[in-house]
Amino acid sequence: METLVGLNCSAVECTSLSPSAPIWQDVLAQAMTGELIAAMNYTSLSEICADPEEVADALEHAGIERGHAARFAAEGRKIGVDVDNNVAGKHWKRLREAFLRCIAERDFIGCLIVQEIMLESFAVASYARVGKVAPGSLGKTFAAIAAEEEEHVDHAMAILRAERALDAQRFDEKVYGLHLEVMTRLAKMLAKECKDGHCEVCHANCVKPSLFDVSLSAAELRGASLQQYLKTLDMLGIPGEVTLAWVSQLPV
Amino acid sequence: MGESVASLAGRGRTMDFALIGHQESWRAAANVLAVLRGRERTPLPDDEIRDILPWIPPRAVCHVEVGSVFNRTIGNRTIGDAKARGVYIDSFIPPDRLEAAYVHENIARVRAAAACAIKAGAKIVSLGGFSSILIEGNFDQLPERRDKDTVFTTGNTLTVAFIVQGIKKMCEMEGRNLRRSTLLIVGATGDVGSGCARCLAPLVKRVLLSARNVERLRRLAAELQADRVQVEIATDLLENDGQQFSSEADVVICAASLASPSLLLGRVAPDAIVCDAGYPKNLSPSAQMLGAKIFFGGLGQVTGGLRFTPDFHGILNRHPFPDVVHGCLLEGMALALEGRFEPFSHGRGFITPERVEEIEKIAARHGIYLAPLYNAEGPVEDGFHCQKEWSSAGTPPSEAWTGYPPASGVP
Repeated sequence: METLVGLNCSAVECTSLSPSAPIWQDVLAQAMTGELIAAMNYTSLSEICADPEEVADALEHAGIERGHAARFAAEGRKIGVDVDNNVAGKHWKRLREAFLRCIAERDFIGCLIVQEIMLESFAVASYARVGKVAPGSLGKTFAAIAAEEEEHVDHAMAILRAERALDAQRFDEKVYGLHLEVMTRLAKMLAKECKDGHCEVCHANCVKPSLFDVSLSAAELRGASLQQYLKTLDMLGIPGEVTLAWVSQLPV
Repeated sequence: MGESVASLAGRGRTMDFALIGHQESWRAAANVLAVLRGRERTPLPDDEIRDILPWIPPRAVCHVEVGSVFNRTIGNRTIGDAKARGVYIDSFIPPDRLEAAYVHENIARVRAAAACAIKAGAKIVSLGGFSSILIEGNFDQLPERRDKDTVFTTGNTLTVAFIVQGIKKMCEMEGRNLRRSTLLIVGATGDVGSGCARCLAPLVKRVLLSARNVERLRRLAAELQADRVQVEIATDLLENDGQQFSSEADVVICAASLASPSLLLGRVAPDAIVCDAGYPKNLSPSAQMLGAKIFFGGLGQVTGGLRFTPDFHGILNRHPFPDVVHGCLLEGMALALEGRFEPFSHGRGFITPERVEEIEKIAARHGIYLAPLYNAEGPVEDGFHCQKEWSSAGTPPSEAWTGYPPASGVP
């Protein structure tokens, strides 16, 4: 899998004297990897768009996501850490594969559901939480990127609502099918403990148990992400009792 | 499937009512999530439930259909088996946040739940349990309604009706003369407490009112005294070492949850009849008052049929008898069956004996009656009555009822 920001995984070092720097290093690594996955997804999406305007939009989004990744890398340098990324990491690789299956089927709507409804819900909610507790410009960057990602979601919502208006049952079934694949993977990634072994993004041991040291917790990030996902599905018009059952059935 | 009374009345929309509620204990919340998760999946561990539940935005959990026993004649046609359809919306207030410290957060949740009810197109919305307590003094905080098509009721009038009926029934069962009784109402100035005071004061010898707000207490006392009722007031049950009231109460209504059941010790007769109508209910017969006859008040029973989709029977209404529901929620269902979409219980302090009688009649017309009495240890009615109820439910009490609050596991 391509690495879009040139950082060498094995050479990652933490030169900061701050005890919390290694924690932020891993938080940034997860965020940066997510942004790069998003950039790759939008680039792939541009390849199945027929309308030149849609192609341009998709490529613009890809550029924005790469910009986010670069900003996260820059924040790492400010606190004296190199921020690694691994788009081939265990979970992120599967999430990318799910998106690529939609691409293979030239399923534009499926792509939007995976990227804008599922992955962006996770990004918006978790960045917003990090933005509240991270110090200085690190916190401001997370908060600003969370707000920008939320705008992406708004953009896609109009398209998806129009699609649902054509055939709500068919649309909801499609969302559910993708939910089973993508959200099950995201739920494993967001679990309080990584029960399936190392995620291949954290630079050493799993960062989750250390999050308390920076006023965060894995449970909080998961809760906020699932809440954002449910609210986004509400905005699409999918009945709340249906989506509640979907989320209740996710692994923990 | 029968037709809804509402649609028969020509007001047809798909959603007659909405019920806004929440879970009273972590065990109850775990049971709800277990149903949603499905039997084939491992239940969520307790710690995960505590982590996840606070993040769930208020939303519909299931559809509810309530049947009426009332046969209505339209023209020369008699139409029976009428039904009203609704939805249960959970505000997902975490059970450990049902207290004053979280009032703003909880009001926000009830507001969001109310918005769900409006979006669902419910014509009448009942505010269950703690939701009605939060909103009874804050009706202006409910979200804007489109063309006022959705009305809200706290459901407190039917709750009062069932508390009063329960007190009368328990007195009858125990061979007590209510007219010779001294009645203590804890939480007397709330909507439910003051409604109970107005209904029962003319029927007892003396009334003792306890609440935190002395001004409201004085106003209520003055109102009752104007009708020649003997009234005493106190703002704190602990005040003056419990001697502030001139006599012990032998009938007690706890319209507010007590911090501790021991607060009643020394203030009530050892064999007092005690109605736990607080939220959450936390009085137990085994807790220091061995001789007291405690029952849970404010509960009614649907006899025309109650259906949840998906099936939450015994989960959302976890009682030792079938189809038992809190009076506050039943009020919305009864009004929907009646086709009266109006804010019957609105604000605080407006419940009168006349309004109580009116809602009692509406409920009874549709087969909604006082539920068989029970407490944390199970049914308190005599064996004959209870056995009859259990056989009609088809479920032995030991399976249907595991105690409330739960004896073990999640507190």
